[in-house]
Amino acid sequence: MIDIADLRFRDLAIPRLHIPPGHTAVVGPNGSGKTTFLRLIAGLLTPISGTITVDGREIGEIETGFVNEFPDRNILFYRVRDEIAAPLRFRGISCNKTLEMVDAIVSRAGQAHLAPRLLKQLSGGEKTLVALLTAVISSPRILILDEFDSHLDQESISLSMDIIACSGAEYVIQCTQNMELAASCDQVLFLSEKGLELAGTPEEVFSRLRRTCFYPILWRIRDGT
Amino acid sequence: MELEFVDIRVERDYFLIQGAGIFAPGIHLVSGRVGSGKTTLAMIAAGLKTPDSGRVKRHGIGSVMLSMQFPEQHLTGSTLESEIASWHLQPCPVLALAGLPGREKDDPFSLSRGELKRLHLACILSRRFDLLILDEPFSALDCREKMATADRIGSIRAGITLIFTHENQHLPRVDYLWEIRESALEFLGSVPDALVGWKNKPSVLADLHKRGVYPKNLSTADILEAACRTHD
Repeated sequence: MIDIADLRFRDLAIPRLHIPPGHTAVVGPNGSGKTTFLRLIAGLLTPISGTITVDGREIGEIETGFVNEFPDRNILFYRVRDEIAAPLRFRGISCNKTLEMVDAIVSRAGQAHLAPRLLKQLSGGEKTLVALLTAVISSPRILILDEFDSHLDQESISLSMDIIACSGAEYVIQCTQNMELAASCDQVLFLSEKGLELAGTPEEVFSRLRRTCFYPILWRIRDGT
Repeated sequence: MELEFVDIRVERDYFLIQGAGIFAPGIHLVSGRVGSGKTTLAMIAAGLKTPDSGRVKRHGIGSVMLSMQFPEQHLTGSTLESEIASWHLQPCPVLALAGLPGREKDDPFSLSRGELKRLHLACILSRRFDLLILDEPFSALDCREKMATADRIGSIRAGITLIFTHENQHLPRVDYLWEIRESALEFLGSVPDALVGWKNKPSVLADLHKRGVYPKNLSTADILEAACRTHD
């Protein structure tokens, strides 16, 4: 369980929140603090006050994968193969083992054609897929995804969900503007300008958002409303 | 006024896009998968990239604007005020349109990506261009802003508007539909007839078509109207 207590950072304040294992969608309007929330959980920002722990351990002690909302800000290297290999090389894993793991993950994801390419030649969506593969190759316990799906088409989103499901990450926390995707997650958190407003299962959260555009369109059609 | 792709072709080591066709006045939606060449075509349409072969003809087109997928790539100002001024616009109405009133002195990089996209679109859509090319205009926007942006784009009455997008939830009313299939740009025709032949159509549209329900256009209002329709 990820436990948040008395968290404060700039305008974001979360007195108490428990995030169980599984896939959690973070939704809400632009500027409501979703990215700040994700960066706090990833340990990329330090709260002014309060704590974030995972099963009693400090967040910084837990292996975490992170995909930035700006595709270009994920990139460190020139070639796709080197980019995906980076987390393994930083851990001192042998070159042979690293290349074997890179080839395996790109093949499994059906993206072997990207491996020899230069990152600067890729589209925004392709860069995002590379960032996702880089984030999951070291099997992080926590995987944090900041609206990466906004760069992807439907088929690529489905592919990404398969990659995420196979990653073995215990906690996947994904900010998204795709409410159909959020509706398929285990939990949903709704942030607004007022802070964290709603947390619960998709049914619990979206039932409170029925009068807003955040209610999934497919559910609206299903309901006949 | 028209834009014509005359047998254009761009080929790199692992990438190919080719196409031919005429973009008449109206709103054109060009859809395609990740890496299919949407941005390449947008750059070619804007005259910022030259195809390896073929050519682009512009008839009667004076002003051209490309809205790039990543709003940060457009930034030239160090404050929102100076950024808006660089578009030869007054800050107050643009900030109001972007939902960012009173933030004239803020650094554009202090905005969230969605807010930055809103600012950029407010600047672009406050002006008029003969040829307006929008590369993923809905990326990073929340549903309220997607719907508002779709309405604004759908209300453009003059010139040629090209929308390159994989957005599948909130779209504007459009006149013509194109799709990139297996490295080739294909013209599917006028909407609504073209919607039936759309291969990678949005899931909500596919869901309605499966039930024999055919919306008149692509806006959220059109989709919901069709879903609730009780007669042909």
